[in-house]
Amino acid sequence: MASAAAGASICMKSASCSLKQAQAPSRISGLRSVSLPISGKNFPSLRSSKGPFRLQVCCAAKPETVSKVCDIVKKQLALPDDTEVTGESKFAALGADSLDTVEIVMGLEEEFKISVEEESAQSILTVQDAADLIEKLIEKKGP
Amino acid sequence: MNPLLRSAMIPMNTLCFQRNFAACSRALVPVQLPSRSETHLWYVVPDEVKSASLLGQYSKILSPCEKEYISCVRGERLKKTALLARVLVRTTIARYQTNGQVDPSSLKFRKNIHGKPELEWDENDHGSPPPIHFNISHTASLIACGVTVNSPIGIDLEEKDRKIKNNIVSFARRYFTAHEVEMLSSIPDPETQRQHFIKLWTLKEAYVKALGKGFSALPFSTFTIRSRNSSRNCQSRDLSDSSSSDAEIVVESVDGSSSLMNSWQFTLLELAGTHFAAICVESDGSIGGRVFTPRKVTARKTIPFVEDEFHPGTDAVVLGGL
Repeated sequence: MASAAAGASICMKSASCSLKQAQAPSRISGLRSVSLPISGKNFPSLRSSKGPFRLQVCCAAKPETVSKVCDIVKKQLALPDDTEVTGESKFAALGADSLDTVEIVMGLEEEFKISVEEESAQSILTVQDAADLIEKLIEKKGP
Repeated sequence: MNPLLRSAMIPMNTLCFQRNFAACSRALVPVQLPSRSETHLWYVVPDEVKSASLLGQYSKILSPCEKEYISCVRGERLKKTALLARVLVRTTIARYQTNGQVDPSSLKFRKNIHGKPELEWDENDHGSPPPIHFNISHTASLIACGVTVNSPIGIDLEEKDRKIKNNIVSFARRYFTAHEVEMLSSIPDPETQRQHFIKLWTLKEAYVKALGKGFSALPFSTFTIRSRNSSRNCQSRDLSDSSSSDAEIVVESVDGSSSLMNSWQFTLLELAGTHFAAICVESDGSIGGRVFTPRKVTARKTIPFVEDEFHPGTDAVVLGGL
C-alpha cells in the first residue's frame, strides 16, 4: 500500500492559515501529503513552537488514537503506568530499539486493522507520527 | 594553531591531564588497528560505571549536538546509556592513533542518508583518515562498538532473555521470509524458538546496518539469513548441527539474485554471558576465496579512561551457526 495519498487531499497551502514560515516540513507528520476530511472533524490546529521561524502544523489525529498508541507503546516498552508518554514523545528517547519499534508497529497494525509498509517505519519518530499515519491509513482503507 | 596539532605535540603524560581528563587514572591505551581479517569488539557494561564524577568527565568529551540529544532522552538510566554509547565510539576510535594522539572530543561524525553514523574527517587538518569502519549497538545493559579496517561493518546486540510481545511465528510471517518462517515454525520448544528468533533478528539487523541502510530501506522480507554447512556443501537445516564449527551463516536475496551476497561474512556470538551479538562485515574477497574461514573477533570490555579487560574465550563465545 503506497504511503503517498492520492486523490482527495488538500494541499497545506490552501488551508486558512499562513504557512509561509513553515521551515520544518519534516514535522508535518512526515508525510508527503495530508488529507483533510471536509467534515471538519480533523481541522488542522496551528501550534507555534519556540522561535519565530518554526510553525508546527499538525493535522492532529484524534486524541483517542494518540492515547491508544501511548498505551501500546507503554506496554511494549514495559514503562511504569505513571510514565509521561504524549504525542511528542520520541520512541528512541523512551528507550525503544529497532525491535521494539517494529513490535509496536505490529501491535498498531493489529489494533487498528491496518498495514504499515516497512518504508514508512522511518518516518515514525514520535507517538504523534504513528497516530497520524494510522488515521491516514484508516481513511485510505475506507468504510 | 590547530588544536589537534597542538595536542599532538604535547607529551603523553601531560595529555592525560588536560582539562577533560584530570581525574582519570590513565589515558586511553592505544591499540593497533585490526588486521583485514579481524574484527575488534569493544563493550561497556553500564551498570559497572557508577562514578558520578566519571560520568561528568564523559559528558565533557561530547559534541554540543550529542549533549542536546541526550538532554531529550527520558530517564536517568537511558540518559546514561546514551552518554556511554557516544563515549564508547569516540574513545574507541581515538585509540587507533594513526596520526599521533587523537583527542576523542575532537572527532566529528555525520550520518549517511539512512542515518548510519560515519566518521567525518578533514584531510587538511588531520592528514589521511584512518581506514576505520565502526558500528555501534546497545541494549539497556550493554553497549558495544565493532571496528574493522577497510570493510563496512554492522553489529547488533540483544539480551538473550529478551521477551517478544507478539507471537513469534506471526511476527516472522509479517516481517521475515518464507524460508525463515518455516525454520522458526519447525522448532517445537518455545524457548529454543525464542532464542533462534533473537539470533536471526540480530543477524538481519547487523546486515542492514553493514549496508548502511536500516530496516526501512531494506525490509527484512527481502533477504533470508540461514546456516549453510560448507564442508558438505549442502543446505543443512538440522538445528542440532548449529554448534558445528563448519556451519557458515549466509545471506540470500529472496528474488534469487545472490551473486553479490557472497561478500558478506557473519559472526554470531554470545557476549558477556548475557547477550547475543551479530557482526556482519563485507569481506573483500581476497581472504581465502570460497573456503569458509571464520573471521577472528577480539572482544575487550572497557571503562574508557579507567580500565580495559581482555578475557579471551570468555568475553565472547562464537556460536557456530544459527
